[in-house]
Amino acid sequence: MHVFSDYSGKTHILTKGDARLKLLVAVSLLVMVLSHRGFVFALVVTGASLLLCVKMRAPVKVFVLRFSEPAFIALVLCLIKFLFFGRDALFTAHLLGFTISGYRDGLADGLLAAARIIGAVSVITVLGFATPFTELMSGLSWFRVPKGLIEVLMFAYRYIFMLLEDAMVIYYAQKNRLGYSNFRRGLTSFGILAGSLTLKAFEHSQNATVAMVQRGYDGHMPAMQHRPFKVSEVIATVFLIVVMGCIWEM
Amino acid sequence: MNKTLITIGGTLTLLVFLHLLAASEACAMHISEGILPYQWAVFWYAVSAPFVAYGLHRLNVISKEDLSFKPLVGLLTAVVFIISCMPVPVPIAGTASHPCGTGISGILLGPSISVLIASAALLLQALFLSHGGLSTLGANIFSMGVIGSFSGFVVFRSLRTCRVNLPLAGFAAGIIADWATYAGTSAELAAGIRGDASFFPLFSRILIAFIPTQLPLGLLEGVMTAGMMSLLYRKRPDLLVKMRILEPGEVGS
Repeated sequence: MHVFSDYSGKTHILTKGDARLKLLVAVSLLVMVLSHRGFVFALVVTGASLLLCVKMRAPVKVFVLRFSEPAFIALVLCLIKFLFFGRDALFTAHLLGFTISGYRDGLADGLLAAARIIGAVSVITVLGFATPFTELMSGLSWFRVPKGLIEVLMFAYRYIFMLLEDAMVIYYAQKNRLGYSNFRRGLTSFGILAGSLTLKAFEHSQNATVAMVQRGYDGHMPAMQHRPFKVSEVIATVFLIVVMGCIWEM
Repeated sequence: MNKTLITIGGTLTLLVFLHLLAASEACAMHISEGILPYQWAVFWYAVSAPFVAYGLHRLNVISKEDLSFKPLVGLLTAVVFIISCMPVPVPIAGTASHPCGTGISGILLGPSISVLIASAALLLQALFLSHGGLSTLGANIFSMGVIGSFSGFVVFRSLRTCRVNLPLAGFAAGIIADWATYAGTSAELAAGIRGDASFFPLFSRILIAFIPTQLPLGLLEGVMTAGMMSLLYRKRPDLLVKMRILEPGEVGS
């Protein structure tokens, strides 16, 4: 869970940029990565994103943790496509009555899929590292993401860490009392843990409502303020999207 | 010759193992960013959008009457987020996976609100944990939010109508919600990655690959839901009455 924390490089120029423009660039790059027919574009995006992560001094451990799962999926998807999909056989082997083939077109498809996964994950990782949560929500609200969803996200983000702390306290208490010593006891303990979290969620929601009503809460969070766009940032954003669009076209 | 055979055999075994593991991992942690071609990504967004819109409508209607409802939905989103981030060792598969949690939220707050909860939890996971993704958000909302919530809710309500007790109805709803979610995910994956190949052989292959992980995990989700129902009944039956899960007369009987 420590990978969830705010690891954004606070002093980096990208972190100080407008969240709306960062969202626009991220979504544009995502669409380009997913719609490009070759894997070179995705690799270019991956390289640029990794470079940005290094420049923002993203902790290596966090970085590896975030990439390990998508990288593993990409690798295996590539192997599956290579061995199970395609027409143009690259090799064929006979083993214990089974015929195993590797396909050239399958390998090409697999590499494309793998590059898309890594490219797309890289873009979102940079966005996550470079944008504080509240600014990201503010940016989403500017893009007309429904207010109700933003409010739910804000409440959830506020309470994830509190509930996680509660969950860890209960989990360690259960573990110290051999609550996870075998599979059956583990199941029971996990059920109690989930139930306790739900009960705490109800309690916290009541307490939070009372506290907020005392401070003037009427069912709506105050509207988020958006600062005016900076001309230099807009020009940089348009330039970046155009350059990437040109590379996408090539 | 023997050495070649051993090499090929070893490689094959490794690949089959990776195949099984990868399909499980890919879905256990939601469909990863970039797996679905953009046409499918857009399609699943379009399919999920009406459910999310209806959830938002219900949220606004209920919030007007009950000021604590939005904080409650936010907190349950946090609970679903934590539950679906919690890796649980699955002894048969030798790997770790996680429950979905949307069956529970579907039972407690209704499936339309539960779709909203799943959407928010999945968005947070996509942005800050690289679990799932923005391009696959629509597909993940449909499998985990729509299929998981509605199947859990329908099973639970049907069993309660037949006077089945709370923990047992919760157990069945948890299992069905989990298995239905992963069946939905398998279908989305098969449709997205099949290319020119036919749908059903790949769908069944992915579904079979899930069995070592998802069979016990579904049971875990069932036990978790039953445990939660039992705990709520013992500690806060008033909440179950408020959620219209119990009739006032059933409390304390």
